[in-house]
Parts: sequence; C-alpha cells; structure tokens
Amino acid sequence: MEKRQTTDGLEVEKLVDIDPLVHAPARLMVMTYLYVVDNLDFVYLRRITGLSWGNLSTHLTKLEEAGYVKLEKSFVDKKPHTMISLTDEGRKAFRDYKDSIQEVLGNLPD
Amino acid sequence: MSQSIDLKQADRKVFTASFDDGLVDIFISSVTLMFAVGPLTTAYINPYLGDFWGDLLGTVMFLPLWGITYLVLRWIRKKFVGPRRGVVKFGPTRKRKMSTFSWLMLTLNVVFLILGILFAVVPSGPGWLNVLPFSAMVLISFTLAAYFLDLNRFYIYGLMLGLAPIVGEWLYREFGVSHHGFPVTFGIATVVIFLVGLVKLFSILRENPFPVEEPTPQA
Repeated sequence: MEKRQTTDGLEVEKLVDIDPLVHAPARLMVMTYLYVVDNLDFVYLRRITGLSWGNLSTHLTKLEEAGYVKLEKSFVDKKPHTMISLTDEGRKAFRDYKDSIQEVLGNLPD
Repeated sequence: MSQSIDLKQADRKVFTASFDDGLVDIFISSVTLMFAVGPLTTAYINPYLGDFWGDLLGTVMFLPLWGITYLVLRWIRKKFVGPRRGVVKFGPTRKRKMSTFSWLMLTLNVVFLILGILFAVVPSGPGWLNVLPFSAMVLISFTLAAYFLDLNRFYIYGLMLGLAPIVGEWLYREFGVSHHGFPVTFGIATVVIFLVGLVKLFSILRENPFPVEEPTPQA
C-alpha cells in the first residue's frame, strides 16, 4: 500500500488505525492507570480518575464488552466489590494505541 | 492530545495514592519525638546506669509509645482511610522497586546499627564527630525513601532531621542550649512532620467521603 507521507515523515494514514475505543479521553485515562497496576477496585479507580460513579461504570462496561478489561465481582461485608484489571488484549490495545499516537504526533513539525 | 502518555507519572500517581495519607508522617514524628524527649529522660537515668545502658533504656522506653501509635494509626487506616482509598495491587515493576528499597533499607540499618554500637562503646570523640554518622544515616535513609516511595517531602524531612543534631550541637556550643540542643531541633522537626501528617490526613478524609455503594457496571 502506498503511504501518504508528508515531507516531514508524518504517516497520516496511521490515524485511521487508532482504536477509537481507547482514544476517548476518559477511557484512555482509565486504561493508562490500569496498565501500570495488576488490578484495582472501583473505589480506587474512581478516586484517581476523578470520574463520577455512573461515568466510570459506563466506560468500564464499554471496555469490558470490547474484552479490554476484566471485572471480578464479589461481596465484601455484604457490599458489592469489583476488582478491575486489563486483559492481555487490553494491554496490547493500549500499547498499540500508545505507539501509534506517538509515531504520528511525535513527528509533527513545531 | 499529548504526543505521548507518561506512564511513569501515572504509576507515581497510582502508587502514592495508595499510602500517602499522612499516617506515615505521624508515625515518623512519633519516632523523632524520642530524639527530642529522650535526652531529657536519659539525663536522669544515665548517672545511675552509665551512658550506654542509660541510652538503651531511654530508647526501649519509647517502644510502647511506638507500638501504641502504630496500632492506632493502623486502626485509623483500616476504619477511615481504607474504605475511602480503595484497593490496589501493583505490577511487577513497582513490586521490584519496593523489594529493592526494602533490601537497601535493611542493609543500611544493619550497617548503621553496627556503627552506632561502635560509637557508643568506643570512647567518644568531639560532639561534632559523634553526630555525623547519625546525620548521614538519616539523610541517606530519607533520600532513599523519597526516591523509592516518590514522596518529595521526604527529602526535606531528611535534610531537617539530618541537620537537627548538627544544628543542636552548634546551639549547645554557641548558646549553651541544654542536651546538645536535641530537644529544640528535634522538637521543631517533630512538630513540623506531625502537622504535615495531620493536615494531609484531614485533607484526604475531607476530599474523599465514604463511598456510596458502587454501581454495577452495565450497558
């Protein structure tokens, strides 16, 4: 395939390959934090992201449906407790996204 | 959109959010309190027991205080901070870093314990010389802790506590402040560290109310 490459070496067509599911700011933030840990619970994730319960819950559901995160539900003191972790697929998606965005935007002229 | 994602910054934020609740500072202040109050108590004990056994007893006397402080802080963390903070398990990189830190601190403590005993047993030199190993130990320990725990204020604690015996000795020589100035310099450091911890703890409790029951993620 012929690459649409500018004289500055910007591979514009790579932007098309960027995963829109990861690209959304809130989900990107969630995946970034999940990438650096083994797992964490809902309370912890909500605290460090600053997202509301509902917002976070919606984003997690989308990521779970895509197979990017794993939610392990249990009960602690009779209250629901959810541990959240990135799946291997989610880790790969995040790495690919990070590489792509760095490759495209990192070569932008000032 | 940033050109890159700073994973180190994310790791630092997740990590410090797990324990930077001021309780560590409060516990440190309970330890440094010994250096502020200890000289006052040992001044009464040492004439009867000698310097070595007097200092040792003076230190041992603080063990119950540390024990109680530790238990109380642990209870506060479990009952009030933990539920607000949530649960996190770190990845292999952070675990390796913590393991390295633990080994370094253990080694350092053993080395300085031996040095401390040597300085206590061997006839002591001038006051300035006596306090230098202690200052070095405190400075190195807090610098390592600041680096490995990503807590920048520990650099300041290290400087403050490392300089405390030297400044204390200077106060003693220049102004005749009693007990080598320890009650003054360590007293100030203890109050500062305690207050920082207290402010940090209350701000964590205020900014993070008890979470409501978490919603079940659904489409």
